[in-house]
Amino acid sequence: MAAKKNKKQKREDYRAAMKQDDVLTMPRKKFYRQRAHANPFSDHQLVYPPHPDQMDWSTLYPAYVAQEESQPEATPSSTTEDLSAPVKVKKLTQDVEVADIGCGFGGLLIALAPVMPQTLVLGLEIRVSVTQFVEDRIKVLRRQNEESKAYQNVSVLRANTMKFLPNFFRQGQLSKIFICFPDPHFKARKHKQRIVSTTLNSEYAYAVRPGGVVYTITDVPDLHGWMVQHFEAHPMFERVGVEEQEGDPCVEIMRNATEEGKKVERNKGEKFVALFRRLEDPVF
Amino acid sequence: MIVPYHLLQASGSVIFAAQEVDILSFNTSMEHLSTWKYPVKATETPSELAADAEASATVEAPPTPEGPPTKRRRTENDEKEAQAGDAGTPNSTNGQKKGRFHNKPQPVNLSNEKPFINCLLATANGSHVIAATGSDKTIWVFEHDGSGNLKQLSQRAMPKRPCSLTLTTDQKTILSADKFGDVYALPLLPSAEPTLPPTVQSLPSRSATPASAPIPFKPQANDKTVHTKRNLKALENQKISMELSLKAAAEKSAEESQPAFEHTLLLGHVSMLTAITVAPGIGATGEKREWIITADRDEHVRVSRGIPQAYFIEGFCLGHEDFVSRLCVVPGREELLVSGGGDDDVFLWRWKEKQLLGRANILEEIKNTIEPELTKVAVSRLKGLSLASGETVVAVICEKIPAVVLFTLVEDTLKHTATYSLKEQGVPLDVELLPNDNLLVSIDTTEGKPDAAAPFLVLTRNGPDSWDQKPVVDVPAGETELNGEEMQKLLYTTESLRKMSDFD
Repeated sequence: MAAKKNKKQKREDYRAAMKQDDVLTMPRKKFYRQRAHANPFSDHQLVYPPHPDQMDWSTLYPAYVAQEESQPEATPSSTTEDLSAPVKVKKLTQDVEVADIGCGFGGLLIALAPVMPQTLVLGLEIRVSVTQFVEDRIKVLRRQNEESKAYQNVSVLRANTMKFLPNFFRQGQLSKIFICFPDPHFKARKHKQRIVSTTLNSEYAYAVRPGGVVYTITDVPDLHGWMVQHFEAHPMFERVGVEEQEGDPCVEIMRNATEEGKKVERNKGEKFVALFRRLEDPVF
Repeated sequence: MIVPYHLLQASGSVIFAAQEVDILSFNTSMEHLSTWKYPVKATETPSELAADAEASATVEAPPTPEGPPTKRRRTENDEKEAQAGDAGTPNSTNGQKKGRFHNKPQPVNLSNEKPFINCLLATANGSHVIAATGSDKTIWVFEHDGSGNLKQLSQRAMPKRPCSLTLTTDQKTILSADKFGDVYALPLLPSAEPTLPPTVQSLPSRSATPASAPIPFKPQANDKTVHTKRNLKALENQKISMELSLKAAAEKSAEESQPAFEHTLLLGHVSMLTAITVAPGIGATGEKREWIITADRDEHVRVSRGIPQAYFIEGFCLGHEDFVSRLCVVPGREELLVSGGGDDDVFLWRWKEKQLLGRANILEEIKNTIEPELTKVAVSRLKGLSLASGETVVAVICEKIPAVVLFTLVEDTLKHTATYSLKEQGVPLDVELLPNDNLLVSIDTTEGKPDAAAPFLVLTRNGPDSWDQKPVVDVPAGETELNGEEMQKLLYTTESLRKMSDFD
């Protein structure tokens, strides 16, 4: 028991030290590990805006805050705001357009940052400690690259996207969604917790603009089959052909830059990729 | 004691009222016409006993290693424990890790296992009445002869417990929103031919694998996806045990497969659905269309297209900061939607534009006239009533609050007109419009003064905020096997939708 306590203490000390403003060394994963599964149905202590317009992106992307005269900010509290005075949040010069759902330790984010420097990329992760790791990692990277202004376009947020995706993104805001090595939920009883399902795909279709792409990758053949089945069953998505898929630079990054991707590589596992394009809105 | 009438539904000159599991009909003078009795109760509960035996068996038997363990239900003791934990009182279980086997088998209070009608609905022309009962997850359809007599036509057990029902505008399809978050379409009258156009395909459900030929067992994981020694060993064991139980499992799954009747999965939330409604409108091509509006426990109001494009989300009416429990499309102004739940306000939306038109504070209204100390409300009934005088009234009932709050729609705003106090009588359960613009309120009299105990009140308006009330006493008292506490639990379920963190 003493050893355990010690470990906990070490963790806390380390994380406190990482909070300092001048840390230039990358955070170490061992102080941020967390059980790999989270129940998407339970009410975590989550923070999310009631409406995407009330989301304060300025702390996540400080380099992109629009230069406006802004009044002192009203904190989004439970007090009822007048309709005439909606919550004021600092606007960004551009919107987040790429989301990595279940970003884990952030490998994909870091790799995407230099590839799409003009685009804001957001990682979403449900596990607190892991989110904290990515946050610290981005903080250090930004500090290390202060002159080149690199990594200002990536950020991370703790969220349960299965419930609250529409609280963060407006209709058609995203051009790409990445779903990399999601929890496979092997047991049939747990299949309902999978991050891809036809009913949930309606929400992905809502957040992604027509022509946008949802990227999926997994090392579990059955999950791959499930994701393909559920996306193909959805009338708003079509699968992207192999040729186009292999020509997409993001696919290569997704295969090799994610932490899980590297782990599968080490264990000589297989990786299954499937891309789905959001179709035009049907006439109604 | 009179068993409370907790749901009211007017249909022409007949008023239907649900009393526990029975449906009674009344004429507009509130004279009793007829009663439909829930079948199990009438036949001295052999199947209920069986169900009870089964339930207790599953509780006491240790989970078998092969089959998936039965769903763990929240019991009375759990709740008490949780409350004790919340209150921060010293509790021996507090420090203990909450494991799956932490709770020893104990007699389960099955109060939430008793059937109880939780939705009551009539078709626009009054030809049919639809009800849903909890616990047995059943949707009942009755034929109505126009004078209060109900004839049961069908009884369909859904995959999950229906929370809210509505009908499409053509009155031919029932939409059922369930506790799991899915919306199913099922024909009002089951027939051999599918009633939905063949272009409407059921989406693959995330909760059930589609019924197909039993697939030979293949583990989902393989030696490329699990690596540690323990996991590999587990995989090996899984293979052996699954092969053994394969046959039995296949038989069992055939038994438990999807219900045989026609039901189509239209859309789903990853949250408990609380309300569903259908709103008519004009589509892009100028044709008459309809939209399905659903509300969930996670503050969302979602607007989806109607059949056959229910998979397409038009948008969300976002702004609630607590659960949404009730929705109502304003009668006569179908472009407007009112939503209410755990927030202090009810919200008025132009749903197609997802535009918030206004908020009306019910908490303040109730604090002003009924309970000054009140800190929160949970909307349990929200009804849009189109009066013969041309006025459109939205009636709001909050759980366990002895008042009916009335708003009038004035152009695009909700204007508070009256807070009718029922402190003397008890807690209102439901409200419905009678002819001559009278309001019928059903009341749980357990908390009112005994001498004023009337299960119904008829309110007649004779001024802007002045009402005459007439109690209706001469109605069937009903009988119940439930004790007071169990009844309270079944009647008042809205506040429990609130997230625990809000209590901090």
